[in-house]
Amino acid sequence: MQSANMLLRKIVRSSVIPFAAQHGMKKDLFLLSRTLSLSLYLKQDKSCEPSEKLDLDAWKKVMKSGLHEEVSETVLEPKELSSLAAARDTLEMWRLAGKLVPENISEEQLKTFMECPSKSAKKKYLKYLYLKELYKKNDKRRMEERRERRLEAQDQASNTDETKKSSFMCLWSRTMDKAYNWRAAQSMIFGQPLVFDMSYEKDMSVREVANTVRQLVLSESCNRRSVDPFHIHFCNFKDDSLYHREFIKYYREAWGKLLITVTDQCYTEIFPKDKLIYLTADSPKVMKTFDHDKIYIVGSMVDKSIKTGVSLARAKRLGLETAALPLEKYLLWSTGAKNLTLDQMMHILLTLKDTADWRKALEFVPKRKYCGFVNTPVKELKKTLDLINTLKRGKRQEEEEKQFTKNYHKK
Amino acid sequence: VQPPEKPLQSEEWNKLREDFQSPEIFEEVMLNSMIRCNSPIDVAKSLLTYLAKRNGDIAYNMLVKYLALCVQQGQVSEICDVYDIMKVRFKILESGAYTLLIKGLTNSDQWRMALTLLEELKKITIPSRTCYESCIKAASRHQEMKLAFELYNEMLAKDVVPTLGVLQSFFDFSRGRKGAELQKEIFGILLYLRENQVYPHKTFMRSIKLWFESIPGGNWRGRLTKIKDSGQCPVCNHQLEDSNLTEEEYSNLSERIIKDVIHGTDTFRKTSPQEFEAFQTFVENRPPFDIVIDGLNVSHIKPRKMQCENLFDAVNCLAKENARLLVLGRKHMLVNSSNWKREIMKEMQNKADFFFAENISEDDAFLLYATLRSGKHCKFVTRDFLRDHKACLSDSLTRHLFRKWQLIYHINSKKIYFFSIFFQQPAFHYDCVVQTTGDTWHIPYKDVFEEKYSYQVPRKWLCIHQK
Repeated sequence: MQSANMLLRKIVRSSVIPFAAQHGMKKDLFLLSRTLSLSLYLKQDKSCEPSEKLDLDAWKKVMKSGLHEEVSETVLEPKELSSLAAARDTLEMWRLAGKLVPENISEEQLKTFMECPSKSAKKKYLKYLYLKELYKKNDKRRMEERRERRLEAQDQASNTDETKKSSFMCLWSRTMDKAYNWRAAQSMIFGQPLVFDMSYEKDMSVREVANTVRQLVLSESCNRRSVDPFHIHFCNFKDDSLYHREFIKYYREAWGKLLITVTDQCYTEIFPKDKLIYLTADSPKVMKTFDHDKIYIVGSMVDKSIKTGVSLARAKRLGLETAALPLEKYLLWSTGAKNLTLDQMMHILLTLKDTADWRKALEFVPKRKYCGFVNTPVKELKKTLDLINTLKRGKRQEEEEKQFTKNYHKK
Repeated sequence: VQPPEKPLQSEEWNKLREDFQSPEIFEEVMLNSMIRCNSPIDVAKSLLTYLAKRNGDIAYNMLVKYLALCVQQGQVSEICDVYDIMKVRFKILESGAYTLLIKGLTNSDQWRMALTLLEELKKITIPSRTCYESCIKAASRHQEMKLAFELYNEMLAKDVVPTLGVLQSFFDFSRGRKGAELQKEIFGILLYLRENQVYPHKTFMRSIKLWFESIPGGNWRGRLTKIKDSGQCPVCNHQLEDSNLTEEEYSNLSERIIKDVIHGTDTFRKTSPQEFEAFQTFVENRPPFDIVIDGLNVSHIKPRKMQCENLFDAVNCLAKENARLLVLGRKHMLVNSSNWKREIMKEMQNKADFFFAENISEDDAFLLYATLRSGKHCKFVTRDFLRDHKACLSDSLTRHLFRKWQLIYHINSKKIYFFSIFFQQPAFHYDCVVQTTGDTWHIPYKDVFEEKYSYQVPRKWLCIHQK
């Protein structure tokens, strides 16, 4: 129907024009068409406006009206001309514009923000601060929820009013700490040494050093809690280095009481060289078994930009033996770099030390990095791979090879 | 969400909002989709009115979004209104709003206002290149070439890379205009193209051509052409610049490569001092080589063949030309294995010099050193583009030298048939950059649709000469 209508209209239009031209009524036609279009426009307008007229610019009035008081306020404010205040203002505007910017920012953070060399560095830093703030907020909220729940539970418990009978006093954490410390002290005398090489400060950014220290704190705590702890050595440790300052932030006064050895000496000065093995993902050698007589060295380094060969270079310079974890051998690797975090290394080494079971130890590799454990031994896998390859090559390839060797001998 | 086609009353907006799954962000989502669908501005206005009535205020990000819609539709008076509101409402604006305002105003009669906005923006940050682009284009559109060039030079001084559009607009808008000053500035742009290895695209090239031909009394003529392999221009018979590095550039490059690539932050990362020294004496004790072969790389050319066979083919092929060969490899090649037959290795060592690095060393660094050390005539064979080594170089100038050198000295090996295994890709004898002799200009350009990789250079040229 519609198409038929259209056709009709077209016919009418096309017939009108020659008709008008014939009679020399150009002016009238012009008028006619104008009124026509006008009426059309009016119609549209009517359909557009529902019932009453809509004041489309009403929002402008609102925005402008609420202003005058505020303007006077801003005038009254003492003009802050310092660059810090200006930076704070821009940050506020960015936040209003919906960018990832933290709500509160300290003076120190503002300074680091201003020292960022590029726009993208600034953006990155702000996003980091924003996420940090978000996590903190969420943690706080969760804590409060938990506290409320606990209070409720206590209320209920007091209502029932049951007295507990137990032969132990409730001093778990303190006694546990004592037991742990006892073990750690023992490991300092009899334990197997494990060296953390703290000479990578200049290879890292400030944030990477902070991450390193965090990982070291985690590994120290899991070592302390283990059945048979390592005797941890922090070698090449310079006093008042960035590492040191970060450690103090975490441990505060406990830093002096830690049951580990901290020294500015190199591991080669403390231990015989032939006993040292430097663990690095870049090593061509793959670790087969955990040796209880050797001293393993782990580089205390977080390299977000994947600086290949830094720790291998260090081991090469000192002429030390190196080794890498047999990740490929046991795991079907999917994504991610082969370098693991320090606390993961610690977990793996502790498990190996206790059980010598690679499977159990490599459970600590993050799950996202691998698809699963290799079931069949690698040797057999290789054999089948070779078989497939020879089948692929086919007989022709073999013949070619034979011919080549023949030709070669002729020459 | 589908934005409505007509302005709505507050009640209607309210209803829509309540139907929306998360009412808090309803307005934001709605405005976003309005921008996407390019809805009529009145609809957005009615939404803002509804918002203002409900909250008595409109958030900054909503204003910016509305501004984006206005800019998209070129509603200049609205843009000015929004700017007025923002200016009174907020102490300062952020760069996103400024960028939108500048973009919106430069397309109108109010373009001079955009310049003041640019000044304001400079106070908080370095303006982006699109901001500069809009301002420069607006200035040159209104024949304020001096102002446009001022902005352009300011942009370069701030290390903001100009877009090709900016550069092109200079040629477009100064067409047919006289003036020694103007001509000097435009030649400056061409030199910028030369120094930064920027290749104009086809339409840009056409602008350049038209500009040259329009210079009153200049008698310039432009022709599109392809340069012969010898480096001669078929149109004006002019010989293009030689691609060889100058002595100074060459020694500079080899110095930087030893310093940045081989030693870097730690010599032990790629090799060891002893090994490097051994290699240095090895190279020094022999006459210069003609071709340096990356043994391991070449040995992987045909994956179905034994690796030493591949290498053997390559060495045989290249040795025929009576060239002095150096093959770089690793020690594991010497161990008799299924891929590396001892007899073949021995045979090869009669035809070429071999150097075997430690298995954990990087042989590419040695490849670079040996080639550079042997002199300008020496070439190397590898399929590797050596990007990682180029990245080790500390400044962009040396990186460019490296690239130039690499283009010349890189022989790509490709197989055509089973028998003839290698053919030499003809290295360019001429330098592929914008160049001039005063009365001729040669400008390489690329077709817009032609895909060009960073390692390729365009083959088409614009030849401009004076009659």
